[in-house]
Amino acid sequence: MSSVAAADRDDLVDREVVLRFLLSAAFWLVFAPTIGVILSIKFNYYDFLGNVSWLTWGRLRPVHVMGVIFGAFSTAIVGLTYYMVPRLCGIRMYKENWSRALLWIWNIGLTASLISLPLGQNLGIEAGEFPLWSNIVVEIALIMITIQVLVTVVRRKEPRIYVTLWYLTASYVWTVFNYAFGHFILPYSMPGVNNAAMHGLYIHYVVGLWITPAGLAVIYYFLPLSAKRPLYSHKLSLVGFWSLAFFYPFVGTHHYIYSPIPYWTQTIAIVASMMLIIPVWTVIQNFYGTFVGNWKRFQESYTAKFLIIGALFYLLGCFQGSTEALRGMQRLTHFTDFVIAHSHLTVFGTFILWVTAGMYYVIPRVSGHELYSKSLAQWHYWLTVAGFSVMASVLTLQGLLQGTMLDVGADFVDSMVAMKPYWFARTLAGVTMDIGALLGMWNFYMTVMHGKRIEAPAGAPLASEPQWT
Amino acid sequence: MPDEHKEDSQEINHYEFSGIEERHGKIPKWLGFVYVVMLIWMVYYLVRFWTDKG
Repeated sequence: MSSVAAADRDDLVDREVVLRFLLSAAFWLVFAPTIGVILSIKFNYYDFLGNVSWLTWGRLRPVHVMGVIFGAFSTAIVGLTYYMVPRLCGIRMYKENWSRALLWIWNIGLTASLISLPLGQNLGIEAGEFPLWSNIVVEIALIMITIQVLVTVVRRKEPRIYVTLWYLTASYVWTVFNYAFGHFILPYSMPGVNNAAMHGLYIHYVVGLWITPAGLAVIYYFLPLSAKRPLYSHKLSLVGFWSLAFFYPFVGTHHYIYSPIPYWTQTIAIVASMMLIIPVWTVIQNFYGTFVGNWKRFQESYTAKFLIIGALFYLLGCFQGSTEALRGMQRLTHFTDFVIAHSHLTVFGTFILWVTAGMYYVIPRVSGHELYSKSLAQWHYWLTVAGFSVMASVLTLQGLLQGTMLDVGADFVDSMVAMKPYWFARTLAGVTMDIGALLGMWNFYMTVMHGKRIEAPAGAPLASEPQWT
Repeated sequence: MPDEHKEDSQEINHYEFSGIEERHGKIPKWLGFVYVVMLIWMVYYLVRFWTDKG
């Protein structure tokens, strides 16, 4: 594979826009998890931050959740979209001037929205909590990016559509509709149990029709490039994409097992959840099949490192999520930290790590600078892996413990007291991950500002491949 | 025939502008087995648990 030759095609990319989106994503990647750490401290010290209304649990949790989904993950995805799509299509992005406006619309809208949440403006729909004015801004931004992506794909010079483009176009189109559904329809209609059922669908569309396909778009793009090998199987990509598209839309109601929602709809949700084993194991086979024979890239490339560890967490988190939907497991784990373990394993352990991998690949190439510090990257990686491994294990264990205690009739307060050491370990793990993220993002910033130049002048191809990416 | 399949699975698609390559590839037998087992389980579970039988 001629990677250096392919680097020529960076002339198709609006470098400034990509860099600015990725650096703003770097800010959100530190900010949103930090709010999570602050929240976790409240488990250990219930009066932490006192009784100031805007610092209470109920006000800050949405900042963490929405900040991770729409700040950390989505901002990085938009930046990576502006890098991947032109190179996969062989033409520059449609309406590039929109991208520059969107950078500000997206980040200012997000900032204002995240400030409004602690001030008490909240639609009350989990993962759909931004106020109405903010949702109009986000929806317009999503529509504009979707138009850019679709028109660029339609006008492409590359004859074949690579799997990354399937996932990206699908995720944007699905999300334009799902965002409107969750923010403009759901909060204002469908009272009662119907609303709950639809909310289950909405929240899982955010995960399954936005975060998952957009994250898979990233992995399919950077996997063969970082492994320096051809993708293992186009056939598997087809199976993975269509099985995800077929099964995921039915998953959401598994949040409401043992509820007044009709039994057969719960059964369909359980079956769909379990059937997600098909796309997940398919992606994993494609992933490791690609790396086989070139594992040394794990030592050489931080893109490869983050992709590989993310794939491992993907396998664990998704298997946990599928089996968690079964009625027996739901009975044990519902309302416990087992659910939180699953959401962290998938959203952070998988998709945040995969976009981080993409940033390690793109930032040096687009800035034309070597990665500023291998040592900082090393610290970023190992603090993230160590911290997150502890967090995922602790949350899973405490969830099972909570569920078992309640199942055998233990007093609820006793089950909370038993959690104390686990909650403390979770906070320490979170602090570890946060320090890692801070070092990593500082490394990205310094790469752009002070990294050693590897670029020939006037947009000519890179003189060499950036090291460690 | 098996050789033809093998050659077909080794065929490589090149994406000129991104530098990405992908094999036409195959579905490994173990994974095909997983697909079949999961589909059988799906039918069983849907029939068995369509309504609450108590």
